[in-house]
Amino acid sequence: MKRLLTGNEAIAEGVIESGVEVITGYPGTPSSEVILNLKSMQNKADFRPQHIEWSINEKVALEIAAGAAWAGKRALVTMKMSGLNVAADSLVSIAYSGCRGGLVIFVADDPGAHAGMAEQDSRHYARLMIIPMLDLASQQEGLDYMKLAFELSEKIGGPIFLRSTTDISHVASDVEIGNRLNLEKREIFLEKDITRYTKAASSWCIAQHKDAINRLKQALDYTDNYLSEHGIRVNEMSLDEKIKEGVIYSGAVEGNFKEAIKRYNLKLSWLKIGLIHPLPEERIKRFLEKVERVLILEELDPFIETEVRRIASQMNKSVDIWGKFNKDFLPWVGGYSFREIKKGLETFLGKVFESEQDSRIRLKAKEIEVKRTTSFCVGCPHRGAYFALNKAIKKLKYKKDEIIITGDIGCTILGMNKPFESCWTEIAMGASIGLAQGFKWAGIEKPVIATIGDSTFFHAGIPPLINAIYQKVPLTVIILDNGWTAMTGFEENPGTLAFDNKEDTKRVDIREICQGCGVEDLKVIDPYKPEEAINTIIKAIKYPGVSVVLSRQECALQAKRRKVNFAKYRVDIKKCTGCRVCLNSVGCPAMVFHPAEEKGRPYMEITMDCFGCGICKFDCPTGAIEEIKDGK
Amino acid sequence: MENNFYITGVGGQGVVRLGQILALYGLEKGKKVRFYKQVGMAQRGGPVHCEVRIGEVFGSRIPPLSADIVVVMELAEGLKALEFVKPGGMVILNRKKIYPLDLMAYPDQYPPEEEIIQLFKEVGAKIFWIEADRITQEINLPLAENIIILGVIANFLSLDKSILLNLLEKNVLGSFLTKNLEAFERGFQWAEEMK
Ligand code: SF4
Ligand code: SF4
Repeated sequence: MKRLLTGNEAIAEGVIESGVEVITGYPGTPSSEVILNLKSMQNKADFRPQHIEWSINEKVALEIAAGAAWAGKRALVTMKMSGLNVAADSLVSIAYSGCRGGLVIFVADDPGAHAGMAEQDSRHYARLMIIPMLDLASQQEGLDYMKLAFELSEKIGGPIFLRSTTDISHVASDVEIGNRLNLEKREIFLEKDITRYTKAASSWCIAQHKDAINRLKQALDYTDNYLSEHGIRVNEMSLDEKIKEGVIYSGAVEGNFKEAIKRYNLKLSWLKIGLIHPLPEERIKRFLEKVERVLILEELDPFIETEVRRIASQMNKSVDIWGKFNKDFLPWVGGYSFREIKKGLETFLGKVFESEQDSRIRLKAKEIEVKRTTSFCVGCPHRGAYFALNKAIKKLKYKKDEIIITGDIGCTILGMNKPFESCWTEIAMGASIGLAQGFKWAGIEKPVIATIGDSTFFHAGIPPLINAIYQKVPLTVIILDNGWTAMTGFEENPGTLAFDNKEDTKRVDIREICQGCGVEDLKVIDPYKPEEAINTIIKAIKYPGVSVVLSRQECALQAKRRKVNFAKYRVDIKKCTGCRVCLNSVGCPAMVFHPAEEKGRPYMEITMDCFGCGICKFDCPTGAIEEIKDGK
Repeated sequence: MENNFYITGVGGQGVVRLGQILALYGLEKGKKVRFYKQVGMAQRGGPVHCEVRIGEVFGSRIPPLSADIVVVMELAEGLKALEFVKPGGMVILNRKKIYPLDLMAYPDQYPPEEEIIQLFKEVGAKIFWIEADRITQEINLPLAENIIILGVIANFLSLDKSILLNLLEKNVLGSFLTKNLEAFERGFQWAEEMK
């Protein structure tokens, strides 16, 4: 049976078909939908894993999955590429120790940086950590390779990377559903072996290192000729002795490469590589023996190309290799659209397949297009928090460009956009609080402020906060606690219970964490109440030590979903002068401005989308914005 | 046979829903399908576009100059589709402008309609204007512009109506179903008159 599935949905189906029992992860675009889907199918679709959770961060998620795999279960952990950096410390050690039950690490990269963040190429981790890596070239492979990954992990006794990219994870295609493995509930396996599961003696470490390297070879032997249940070969070669030109490719470029072959009726030999670590060296040699010129297509770094060049240099035949090391040829950054692949092939083959559109048209379109910047959603509590923060800074008589505000990952970073333009930096989870301390030690005497969301604080914000307290660094941390990990798809986190009643978890209160860390100046504000919020932030900024302001109000979209209602607002058109002060100071998408041309005089309208946060009322000079009381 | 649909607009216009129904249609027909959606953040008014490819297709995105049908739900967003229009391809322009917050007070900074049309003419598009919101007002279902356009496409491409109606039933909220079916029919008729 075929279904229309995104790559992440296909991967989730592969997880179900593999009978995985423990599933953990931390949300991050473009990886989140795997667990979001599994959670939504839990107990439906005859899918009853022992446990699925959104963990506090990727490192903890990985450790939980590894523990389960060491006890003999099949376990999956998911994350985006930046999350892999967080999990890396534990993962290296786990890879050396290996595992008993299948352990798969799903990581999604984002060539083109669609979701923001450093455009890192996570394939390098495979080499660094000595972990075999399967790289997806299609949605179908998401399902097939997930199943293969578990098989392979148990076969070799070590963890396996499954890597995807945005173009696979977020695109849907027709995917053939497979058979579910009929796995008996697995016995718990107890193995006390300190030579394998600790690193306390150098001889054990050396032995583990050797084991890890041996597992690579086994992985290659198992996969090189592997044929999946839907007829996909992991490493596949199409060789025509008469053709002198070949292409070696891997990953998401497959779609556009095959598109070009069909469209322009190209005659090329090709080698597709699905297991990108370890590379199928013998196969690559066989391929290079038969061609004279070879083009290497892969997104981001020349990961495969470097190896192909090394392999070619050891052969006693010269092959003309084309790739990212050629000057001004294939780019090292961004995803490869059809245009890049076509251009690459055209240059490689020395002919133009199809002429392009007059570039003038694209330039003209770019020039006149409408920019739509992202801002906070209607009723978003972060709007109130940044609104109050900006007002507080102004009341303290500071200029905007002299107060450093370090931002952090998540929705809260939108405070850098109009109309607030508050945040200066965004680095990595929790980094706002560490960076702020550095700015202080550099000698900045004016206040330095860090803003961070609840989930980001749980994830990596606590150690830098403790550090600031211990080192007595005067700074203000504003924690924007909306109760959800909202940006990546409204996942829950340890603080979510404040809003959403569930019985199988216990809420961890950020206020108590701050108290426990030794924060002496700790205040809670309601971002929907500007007056109090502004005054509290002023006091916090003036405080001579570490001050924390906890801004609390549920994510408006989640609150709406849960049918939480506030009285809406409207504009009294008789009082409104159309000055747009409200629009410029809060920029809420529920507002529509009507210029004078429409009805003879300008005025503001608040549409039915209003959530009733009430912030826009604060600045209106004529008092035209009013609450709708009892629906009147 | 290959059909490439490029659909563009802003959040809240049902761009993705329209694409999803077309993609599911391709699946029902037993064809290969690729469905790409660019949604950005879940908020009103942000740019949204999706691409549906049905037939002997491989890449997830429509190659330049290859969109058989371009649907522009919001006029200025149509500019982003220009490079994909197949010469002689059909472009359905919905006469609708949605201003972002910082342009609301300066409507004269919105790209002039003539310039947009001129560009579509230059790429060789066959242009069809529709005022979908006029029809939605008539049937009193403001959010059904996308379904009206689905009706238009169904007619222009002679798609299998019963499959589409079935998909609408499965994918549209129950209480609005009748009205959405009406929207579909109105779009279908509108296209009939345009022929
Ligand atoms: S009260 Fe004002 S700022 Fe708040 S949601 Fe309504 S229109 Fe937007
Ligand atoms: S601030 Fe008040 S007077 Fe000015 S446009 Fe907004 S509602 Fe009208």
